[in-house]
Amino acid sequence: MSEFYQGLAEILEVEESEVRSDMELGESWDSLAVVSTIALIDDVHDVTVHPNALVDCKTVGDIEKLIEEERAGASKG
Amino acid sequence: MTSLLPPGAVAARIAAVSTHLPTTVLDNDALAALYPSWPAAKIEDKTGITERRIAAPDETATDLACAAVDRLLDSGACCREDIDFVILCTQAPDYFLPSSACVLQHRTGLSTAIGALDINLGCSGYVYGLSLASGLIASGAARTVLLVTADTYSKFIHPGDKSVRTLFGDGAAATLVVAAEPGDGGTIGPFVFGTDGAGAGDLIVEAGGLRVPRTADTARAVPDDAGNVRSREQLFMNGGAVLNFTLREVPRAVGALMQRTGTSAADYDAFFLHQANRFMLDTLQKKLKIEDGKMPRHFAHIGNTVSSSIPFVLEREIAEGRCSHGMRAMLVGFGVGLSWAAGSVTF
Repeated sequence: MSEFYQGLAEILEVEESEVRSDMELGESWDSLAVVSTIALIDDVHDVTVHPNALVDCKTVGDIEKLIEEERAGASKG
Repeated sequence: MTSLLPPGAVAARIAAVSTHLPTTVLDNDALAALYPSWPAAKIEDKTGITERRIAAPDETATDLACAAVDRLLDSGACCREDIDFVILCTQAPDYFLPSSACVLQHRTGLSTAIGALDINLGCSGYVYGLSLASGLIASGAARTVLLVTADTYSKFIHPGDKSVRTLFGDGAAATLVVAAEPGDGGTIGPFVFGTDGAGAGDLIVEAGGLRVPRTADTARAVPDDAGNVRSREQLFMNGGAVLNFTLREVPRAVGALMQRTGTSAADYDAFFLHQANRFMLDTLQKKLKIEDGKMPRHFAHIGNTVSSSIPFVLEREIAEGRCSHGMRAMLVGFGVGLSWAAGSVTF
């Protein structure tokens, strides 16, 4: 996950060491952060996540869960 | 590689490009004053755009288009009377009817013995326009086509909608597409196209046409969840959905064109992509694995000029001598529709 955490740290404007699964996305989780994260997930994990599902994420763990669901769906498809 | 023209077809080439910008500048300091959470440095960092041009209240896309055509004619690129067809790509027409292209024919003093029509496309419009212009020439229907792109998205944007106001700028371009004489060199095409109307609502000015006529309700501006303000008569963009569509379809279109022409990325000297913004271009460049020197950019001082964004890059690259004889480029447009296209051009 380190490449993903590194990218997420840049998007959320925090230190990479602060990014953990239970980290709250908080106020910085705006539309720009969501769009940037879509590109990051596409780059690192090669899966497409739905923007509305991403908007609803509250923690870093929620995003990771979404990625896992997409990967499972993609491998079935 | 050839342009894959059928036997007997006339080859076309791009002979000249001229652009025009309105005079009013909207810079990041002015925007940052409106959006407390987005300082000017953040807007520049995320979009790569420092300023955009905005049409005057009484200045329409047709005005910008006429100015671009006047510049092209003043440059001596061709004689006014040689032009035998005008294609105007705009989403901001003066009227429901007649076509802005008819108004432009008269205002720019073009012959009445010409064809003129509008096409309604956004960021994919230039590539579609080139395919239509070269098709008219290939069939012998025309020999000198003026392809004009002009838009004023600023007039569709609520000042309180930072999601689009930071990105779009007004502008116009006139491209001269001519029948290639033997020995001229230069080709246009082939092209690959894509359309997905399922995403029509992802980039839309919903009210004001006949499906959703203007009412007091459609004029009411309200903030969305992200705090961006707009009415149904104004531009809405679902940035995430547009990004997903772009990341999915642009690499496919690029691959499809290479397959059709039997080429690989190494066969192209340059990739002229629609100049959406820095973030979009960085993401696409990485995904398409295009080297830095092969993807010219021009948006920092003009923003996303919709269907004119590619000719703005072309004009500069031609002026600086980077579109030399024999050079091969791929042009890729993508956006509102959803609509996309890729085409091959040699100079």
